[in-house]
Amino acid sequence: MPKVIFIDPEGVEHHVDALVGQSLMRAAVDSQVPGIEAMCGGNCICATCHAYIEDDRLVTLAPPDATERDMLECTSEPRPNSRLCCQVPMTEALDGLVVRVAASQH
Amino acid sequence: MNAPTPPPTVDVNALYAGYDHLDPPIGPDGTPCAYFEEFRDAQIATKQPVGRSEKHGGFWVVTGFPECEQIIKDVDGFSSAGVIFPKYAVTEPLMLAEQDEPDHMRARRLVNVSFMPRSVQQYGDEVMRSVHELMDGFIEDGKADVGRILADPIPAIVTALIMGLPAEDGPLFDYWTSAITHEFLNDPKAAQPKIEQMYAYFEKNIARRKVEGGTDVLSSVINAEVDGDRLTHRELLGFSTVLLIGGIENSAKLIGSALWRLGWDVELRRRLIRHPERMASTVDELLRYYSPGTIGRIVRRETTIAGHTMKVGDQVMLALPIANRDPREFPNPDAFITDRTNNRHLALGTGLHVCLGGHLIRMEARLVISEFLKRIPEYEIDASAPLKWTTGQVGGMSRVPIRFKPGKPRGAERGKGVDAWLRHATRP
Repeated sequence: MPKVIFIDPEGVEHHVDALVGQSLMRAAVDSQVPGIEAMCGGNCICATCHAYIEDDRLVTLAPPDATERDMLECTSEPRPNSRLCCQVPMTEALDGLVVRVAASQH
Repeated sequence: MNAPTPPPTVDVNALYAGYDHLDPPIGPDGTPCAYFEEFRDAQIATKQPVGRSEKHGGFWVVTGFPECEQIIKDVDGFSSAGVIFPKYAVTEPLMLAEQDEPDHMRARRLVNVSFMPRSVQQYGDEVMRSVHELMDGFIEDGKADVGRILADPIPAIVTALIMGLPAEDGPLFDYWTSAITHEFLNDPKAAQPKIEQMYAYFEKNIARRKVEGGTDVLSSVINAEVDGDRLTHRELLGFSTVLLIGGIENSAKLIGSALWRLGWDVELRRRLIRHPERMASTVDELLRYYSPGTIGRIVRRETTIAGHTMKVGDQVMLALPIANRDPREFPNPDAFITDRTNNRHLALGTGLHVCLGGHLIRMEARLVISEFLKRIPEYEIDASAPLKWTTGQVGGMSRVPIRFKPGKPRGAERGKGVDAWLRHATRP
């Protein structure tokens, strides 16, 4: 089972098992990673699963669609490697992906 | 030797039968919190998170956290048409709140980005400025009702700004919102003309935007096309009503309850002053502990939960203030923990219908509390003046009389919104 390394807002690393096909958000929530609130449950409407993909494999991900892009621009601290975790599905190729949770979701 | 006292017999069915989300019993502290805790204890002891109320013609009551979460997320099985119960006496559709998919999401996308963190942050300066101007109005007095003169005005001023309406109309918004959400229950005849007055006000504002355009949220809704269609006139009125009520009710009650709690919980107040970095998590704990709203649903697919079969068409009320005290989700639920982790409370809903203004209410509460405490770090509840918890589908502390050491006004020029509120609040 591939793993994701989430770095929470306090800087603590969480090595989390993720199912292939599951979103990064679901993997984080199931393992209670602090800082991923995911209030809308993965519908791309609340922007409370904002994180930065700190990994060279960022470029291999399907780019955010227009809705996600609009949402990301309106997060409190958008960066070029920003993503909403609910929009990134896990794959075997992403094993060990490093994801830094945004300092604030509000 | 005395025999151990047997546990008190709990008649949980009687508790459910008498449950009225619009009128929970108020305890000696002035809040319904003790009642919510007692209900929760009974629910846990008997393992009955669902029951049947006999009030308002009968409805299901769900008090357990996982059960509430299940229902909120099951948008196919439970319709949002029952979110308000009994229904408000409005004649136009309550957009967003009462809509189901796919209509709800189509409407939500029109306004969603306007309520994201960066979008609401632009109103932060106005919140801070308004807090200080309002405080200038009473800081020399050494006493004030901060429910009426801080918790009520701030959300109305911000809502006016977001909707592009004149800030000085804030007191009117408050007046209409009370008519829709509270007065209609006891005195529908008195509430009706106020609701009509509100519609006439929005008619005028909508007509003007159709001609002049604008950059506010109301203009973007008016000019938006959904699947090639513009929203109808009635839908626009319904949208305006929802933005108004949604912007005002929850925030005002949350801020009122927060200022009341901080008035007597000296330890909490000092901890918050010493650790401003805990403000964000404290606001979420306030949301959990004083959850202002309860929401309803109408069953649209027969569903059995905790042994109770809910039939198509049944009304269900989710008792969020009780569910948010469920020990199955929140360790030590009756403790107020400023840095509670994984605080997944349902005060603002969850899933597709999660509160549109979730980022906004947090920002308002954070800024009002922190700016207020900068100037009045020590205060107490004034026991000589009336305290009031307003009940209803959205409830919270609405009259919060306090006493403090008088201070000096900052003397900044008053904005029109604040000026209108100060004149409004000093009226008898």
